[in-house]
Amino acid sequence: MIKGRLTRTVTLLAASALTLGFAATGVGLSSAGAATATPGVTANSITIGATVPLSGIAVSYAEVSASANAVFNYINKHGGVNGRRIKYIRLDDCYNLAAFGLGCTAGPSTTTLSQTQVLVAQDHVFATVGSLGTAAQDSVLSYMKTNGVPQLFVNSGSSDWSQPSTYPNLFGFQASYQVEGKVFAQYIKTHDKGKSVGFIGQNDDFGAGGYAGLVNGGINIASDNHLSYNAADAVTGSISDIATDVSTLQSNGAKVVVLDSIPAFTSAILATAHQDGYSPQWIISSVGSDPISVNSPYEANAITFDSLPATNDKSNPWTPWLRSIILADKTDFPKFTAKSPMDGNMQYGAAFAVAFAETLKAEGKTVTRAGFVKTLESTKLATLTITPLQYSKSNHQGVLGGVIANISPNGSAAPIYFNEPSHVVYTTGNSKNTPIKTLPYVVSPIPAWLK
Amino acid sequence: MNFLKSLRVQETTRARLLSVSVLTIVALAISFLLPPVADSQMAGGAAITIVILGLSWLIGWSGQISLGNSGFMAVGAYAAGIWAHHHATTPLIFTFLLATVAGALSGLIIAIPSTRLRGPYLAGMTLAFSAAITPLAQNFTSVTGGEGGLFLNSLSTPSWFVHFFSGPNATIDANAQWTADLAVLVAGISFFLMANLFHSRTGRAMRLVRDNDVAAELVGINLGRTRTLAFVVAASFAGLGGALYTVINATVTPQTFPLTLSITLLTLMVLGGIGTLSGAVIGGIIYAFSANLVDHINALTGVNPTSNLGANMQGIIFGALLILTMIFAPRGIAGMGAAVQRLRKTRRSALASSSAVD
Amino acid sequence: MGAFLASNFMHNIFGGLAQGVIYSLVALSLVIIWQSTHVLNFAQGAMAMFATYVGLTEIGRGVGYWWCVIISVVVGMAFGGITERVLIRPLYGKPEINPIVVMVGFLGVIEAVTAGIWTSTTRNIPAPFSQIYYQYRGRLILLSPFVIFQIALAIGIMLFVAALFRYTKLGLQLRAAALAPEVARLLGVRVHRMLTIGWMLSAGVGAVAAVIIASGNFGLFPTDMDGVFVAGFIAAAVGGLESPMGAIAGGLLLGLVEQFILAYWSPSVAPLSGVILLVVALMVRPQGIFTRSVNRRV
Repeated sequence: MIKGRLTRTVTLLAASALTLGFAATGVGLSSAGAATATPGVTANSITIGATVPLSGIAVSYAEVSASANAVFNYINKHGGVNGRRIKYIRLDDCYNLAAFGLGCTAGPSTTTLSQTQVLVAQDHVFATVGSLGTAAQDSVLSYMKTNGVPQLFVNSGSSDWSQPSTYPNLFGFQASYQVEGKVFAQYIKTHDKGKSVGFIGQNDDFGAGGYAGLVNGGINIASDNHLSYNAADAVTGSISDIATDVSTLQSNGAKVVVLDSIPAFTSAILATAHQDGYSPQWIISSVGSDPISVNSPYEANAITFDSLPATNDKSNPWTPWLRSIILADKTDFPKFTAKSPMDGNMQYGAAFAVAFAETLKAEGKTVTRAGFVKTLESTKLATLTITPLQYSKSNHQGVLGGVIANISPNGSAAPIYFNEPSHVVYTTGNSKNTPIKTLPYVVSPIPAWLK
Repeated sequence: MNFLKSLRVQETTRARLLSVSVLTIVALAISFLLPPVADSQMAGGAAITIVILGLSWLIGWSGQISLGNSGFMAVGAYAAGIWAHHHATTPLIFTFLLATVAGALSGLIIAIPSTRLRGPYLAGMTLAFSAAITPLAQNFTSVTGGEGGLFLNSLSTPSWFVHFFSGPNATIDANAQWTADLAVLVAGISFFLMANLFHSRTGRAMRLVRDNDVAAELVGINLGRTRTLAFVVAASFAGLGGALYTVINATVTPQTFPLTLSITLLTLMVLGGIGTLSGAVIGGIIYAFSANLVDHINALTGVNPTSNLGANMQGIIFGALLILTMIFAPRGIAGMGAAVQRLRKTRRSALASSSAVD
Repeated sequence: MGAFLASNFMHNIFGGLAQGVIYSLVALSLVIIWQSTHVLNFAQGAMAMFATYVGLTEIGRGVGYWWCVIISVVVGMAFGGITERVLIRPLYGKPEINPIVVMVGFLGVIEAVTAGIWTSTTRNIPAPFSQIYYQYRGRLILLSPFVIFQIALAIGIMLFVAALFRYTKLGLQLRAAALAPEVARLLGVRVHRMLTIGWMLSAGVGAVAAVIIASGNFGLFPTDMDGVFVAGFIAAAVGGLESPMGAIAGGLLLGLVEQFILAYWSPSVAPLSGVILLVVALMVRPQGIFTRSVNRRV
């Protein structure tokens, strides 16, 4: 009988060996940056990467990294940075919701962590730049720290990204959700005084941060008006939170509703409310308000927060600059024509791409991870943001503030743009006691070497 | 006559220990040959193997259909995650034991009302349980971290292990290697335990209950207790697998345990071979390298992986594989191996005969 | 009267009923199949979803809503019949896990193919009736013309199925083929054909449920029936898989229990409604509340 057992074991081993061999050919054994001491950096190239949603529920954000790539392509075409071409590897993590997910190019075992491992352990990137998603990026904090890889310009407004003492190589990019929430709170107190306020947020640090900001800003939200949805439910298809949330706020009589939702959910919430005949004043986080991504006529007149210039602001030099770059990149934007509207996602991607390139430029010919982080902490970066990007040893959050913007009601046929009626930039801290201050609206000039 | 045959003691524990050790050592050796990314995939596959071992035992050996094993896995994963989140310095073995016990308890709770149920009612009960787990984890935010989940520290690789590696990526390579080896070791131990259980008195009683419950009662086997035990064992393996999954990923989130995971587990178990030990390992391997498998099939068929169809190829491939396997080779891949063995007139192994799929 | 209809209690009754009738329809469709072929059809929801895609996407091409509903139901029925012929027939007499596994695989294939053809983004299908809630002195009554339509349509389908089984020759043959296939065959009933018709009928009922789901706030997406299927399955198990009446009662009960737990206990516990209801119901009657034959081993 033992003989039979061993035959079985041998069969099994053969099968395993075959499968593993099969897998090995799939993942490849090459290592891009093994030639020098700093992973990802060679004499004439630097390899960076990002995990982003290229399919699935948050696919509208795919444009962000595509735009960053278009900027890198433009820079490479003009000789790179200090003689190095930037190689940007983008991997699909399906917003970390893949599971056995439909519409995801990822397999059942593919997650943000597994894709980050591919970037770090197989492609040997110098850093991740512009990886997206609050929960998604939280899930790799420890992995990135353990392996000593910088995690730069995380696309999320969680305040998790500014913890320099615990995660010295971790940097956010946009203003925190708490700051955004506090600015919204001030807006509500001025414009919708005394009205009942409702809140629907994503059930992770995105929704939690935005809610904390509103409360710290002095807005009182009744507990039955504080609602949430789960992004995963759209994938697994369990009972719709959104329909319940909207009808709850409607029957509770909320007149102002703040949304901390990604565009697909913003769109669904607006459509549901419209069908139910419910039209409160919508106030939508910058993360979920881009009109072209939301693509809903019911978003007209909604209030949002914006740290980037209005997409149709022709007086801003970055607008024509970015348009020509995107127009030139037929791989990333095959359908973009001279008449296509630009959107906030494109600006966002370009903004962190420029910030990365500028830091790299300031770093000089010798590039190390420690040196890069030090340079980033001490350089004032001229990029698309309407207030300068300035990190420090104690602040790794990113942009410090933004303006209140609204969505123009110019019909469904023409594209609707963010409208920035006042150029007052608000800034504040995360805590309750930091007052809201104003900053000048600054249009940074395009650095000469990028023109 | 199946049950009479299965009552014979067929192997000694020592022989099993030997073959499991050989298997584990070979798996460890393979992990050293693989690139670090494949190591990480291997670690995930090892965790899933443990869960499938339990599922295979429950469905194949005790004949009870469960669609709740993703729920048991989630219980173990959260038990480990919540504990490690608050007590980062606890030895790993304790975290694993805790999760195993938590899984077993959840199995007991589900088993008490369930073991009176048969067939579709049992499937319904366990499905309802696993469907409830994700929303529970999402809603009890203060304990579970809500949809964002809980984040732990990555496994720390001992410095003596890092010394085996050189080059600028030494730490990265060492970390991936260490995680994979730890996972393979835990899976190996689980495999050994399950192999013994398969051949123990309990295992034989279990099969007798499955094949002929009247006969089982006549020999004095308590049907309810035996069926409950089957659930508890399956759930404790699922709990351990969940804990290992949490530890290697350094995170636990509700999205890891959607309803579809139960279906994925069922798929993997059937593809590997219901009620067989080797089937569980094959299922784990398929899980680990499913993305590569889909890539290869896309490449072979010329489907553009970024097209809409390409993005959904894995659902089509796995669904079709499941249907074809069940219709044409209900014993799965392990069963095919056994059939080949029989053709070569090797003596029949009792493991291959599982009447649940005849 | 108006004040009563606008009360919190009635909010929950209406909410529970609106949800419950959908569960009932899905449960009914599962029971029709179970009675005739003893197969637990895990792909029931997905098959209905696929039929809805074929029908309702026609709306975009200018076809009227009601024609699209008819297309969905017809496609659903054809799909059900073909599935029985091709996938299920080879599995009769096999262990019960085999058809379960095959249908689970089929579920995966259908959802992936649907996403492959129509993408997985949610489509909003315009509802045939207004979804704006009625009001009484500024307070909402949680009923809209659409919700009333939804409940009425579900009741209509249930009555239709009941009448078909009870008063028509086809219904008699269907029941005979399910209960005593050998005897039925001797009496000249074409049993295999009856099984196929049973599947078609079931798939048609499922398609109606899927159409209602897609036309409401929920929208149409490849996995939109997964949660509904689970609930329908729980409802059928609560009522007893042998009893169409039980399925309907189970669905309504589940809808109401879910709604009342949500409102009066805690939204956090609501996901457990199905488990709680099942445990209670099956502790009392392990074969479902409405099943008569307790001795039968399923």
